[in-house]
Amino acid sequence: MTGRSTFLSALGAATVAVAMGTGAQAATICFAFQDLETEFWVAGHKAITTTLADAGHTVIERNANEDANRQLEQVNDCIAQGVDGIIIIPQDGESAVTIVQTAQDNDVPIAVFNRPPSDTSKGIVVVADNATIAEQAVDFVAQKAMEEITDRPIQPLIIVGDLGDPNAVGRKDGFYAALAKYGDKFAEPIEVASEWDAATALANLEAALTANPNVDMIFTSSDFLFPTIRSVLEPRGMWKPRGEDGHVLLAGLDGDATACKLIKDGLVDATGVQDLYFEAQSAMDAILASIDAGEAQPNQVIEDPGFALTADNLGEREMDMWGCVLLSEGFLNN
Amino acid sequence: MTAAVSPQGALDLATRMGAVLMLVAIVLIFGALTPGFLAPDSLANIIKQSSFIGIAAVGMVFVLLTAGIDLSVGSVMYLGPLVAGLLMRDAGVGVALGLLACVATGAVLGAINAVFIVGLRVIPFIVTLATLFLYRGFGTWLVESRQLDFPDSLRGFGLASVLGVPVPIVIFAIIAAAAHVILRHTVFGRHVYAFGNDPLAAQKAGLPVRRIQAGVYVISGTLAALSGFVLISQIGRLDAGFGEGREFDVIAAAVLGGASLFGGIGGAGSAVLGAITIQAVKAGLVFSGVNLYLQPLLQGAVILVAVFLDGLREARLRSLRRRVIRPRAG
Repeated sequence: MTGRSTFLSALGAATVAVAMGTGAQAATICFAFQDLETEFWVAGHKAITTTLADAGHTVIERNANEDANRQLEQVNDCIAQGVDGIIIIPQDGESAVTIVQTAQDNDVPIAVFNRPPSDTSKGIVVVADNATIAEQAVDFVAQKAMEEITDRPIQPLIIVGDLGDPNAVGRKDGFYAALAKYGDKFAEPIEVASEWDAATALANLEAALTANPNVDMIFTSSDFLFPTIRSVLEPRGMWKPRGEDGHVLLAGLDGDATACKLIKDGLVDATGVQDLYFEAQSAMDAILASIDAGEAQPNQVIEDPGFALTADNLGEREMDMWGCVLLSEGFLNN
Repeated sequence: MTAAVSPQGALDLATRMGAVLMLVAIVLIFGALTPGFLAPDSLANIIKQSSFIGIAAVGMVFVLLTAGIDLSVGSVMYLGPLVAGLLMRDAGVGVALGLLACVATGAVLGAINAVFIVGLRVIPFIVTLATLFLYRGFGTWLVESRQLDFPDSLRGFGLASVLGVPVPIVIFAIIAAAAHVILRHTVFGRHVYAFGNDPLAAQKAGLPVRRIQAGVYVISGTLAALSGFVLISQIGRLDAGFGEGREFDVIAAAVLGGASLFGGIGGAGSAVLGAITIQAVKAGLVFSGVNLYLQPLLQGAVILVAVFLDGLREARLRSLRRRVIRPRAG
């Protein structure tokens, strides 16, 4: 059985489980998300809405357009409408705490998807272990760098996400944890702010590479910035596939379709993968189980251990990565 | 013989040249901290990266000159290139037609703002706040929040150079020069200043105030779309979050360069100066390796100083006008 068919079977079985496991009762779920700026969020949104709808549940969708206050109002509106449960993708960790508290004060079960609240003790929190996943991806490129460069300290660079987002902080911590193991083999990393914005990343990365042209290794806190990285590296002759002179070791995190394609093309070396479908399924299962059990204030942390897809394990693990599944379905051609 | 400069004269000079002095100070400070900052490559990169905000800021200056505001520019930066990208991808149009479609979309979006502001007399802040969400919502609906990949020919355009000067800088220079000519040497430009200084007097003088006000929003929309195109032509991909929050950078650049939020003061040079200043600060912070948590604080502080200087300048110019109206006897 191929990886993909395994994955599809698992997804199908999980869908049936959602339908069966919740009995015959159809629930009304409010799905409040902060926005859908990247492939990851689009795929997560699709996984949640279609699976719930296919199982006969009603989904009320609310897009906060990156406004935490609006998201709180939207959640209040959902509560006023008498929804059975809430799934949110919050704008940031702090606003998530307030929203979870609001839902629990009104006895509505709530699950937080992927972007954890600052306080994870309340609500159902489904979260990727960003630090560990980042560490795995960075560790791979760090070891490759040490194989290739032995006569001087290796110069790493990290593109940091929005520091108000706990995921970005976790990924930054994972990056440093990976390099800490190798002591003075690595020079002081160059930090570049992206604020999860391609234009900001472009300007800051250009400035950083102008100041430090001899960067050996780049870790981006999100795969969606790979096209931005390409536009900075390419004119400098640094966008080369593995094995060619001038190849800069590249790693990312998310596991999107672009990263999958770039790893296959030899331009990217590794990416940390969040198991998107596991996370979406876990959030739905947990919220529906709480509704069925009549539990109004469920508190649970569900951790996605993730993994790193690398140039070395591409053959075996390709179809475990959601982005490679999307790529095989022609996502980048649409 | 050298003429002594009185404290009052120095204050007037500083008031008029505040933006230039601030840029020079920033460049010198970062240059002293990290000498590589002053290298030609680094300075060229600052100008190139400032072109994105700078082009939109030129449009914003037109709006600010009429004491208006355009909060929709970030969404226009997204929707303009999106329409162009869809045409390039689905209809196979080339870069030139894509660019034309992009700026035409921007002009239409600016005209929609103008209809509400001029035709229905709704205040600009409310109209453009509403269209900020409307335009982005329309764009995300068009592509269902998915990213849009442009053909490689667009990146060829964005990364190209003309006589060694990167295309984004060339476009920025052309737009700034054209705006300067329009504002300083055309009837429309003089009308914009007249309207911004005193809308009632402009109306009484028989100026086509509705056309002037509508015109500045069309210009702002057009240039916001163009700025988005210029940046996307370098990356080759448009994400759903592109341009979000950029309206504040654009307004900050215009004000930082010397355009007044109260209308009637500023020019194309304001946008150029402001955009380069903001980018110089950002690049300087990267060059100096300043802690990422401190970078937004320092950027905010610079903008705060600029707004403070704008207030001072406004007060100073008001007092100068009073002196002219009532000269002392004697």
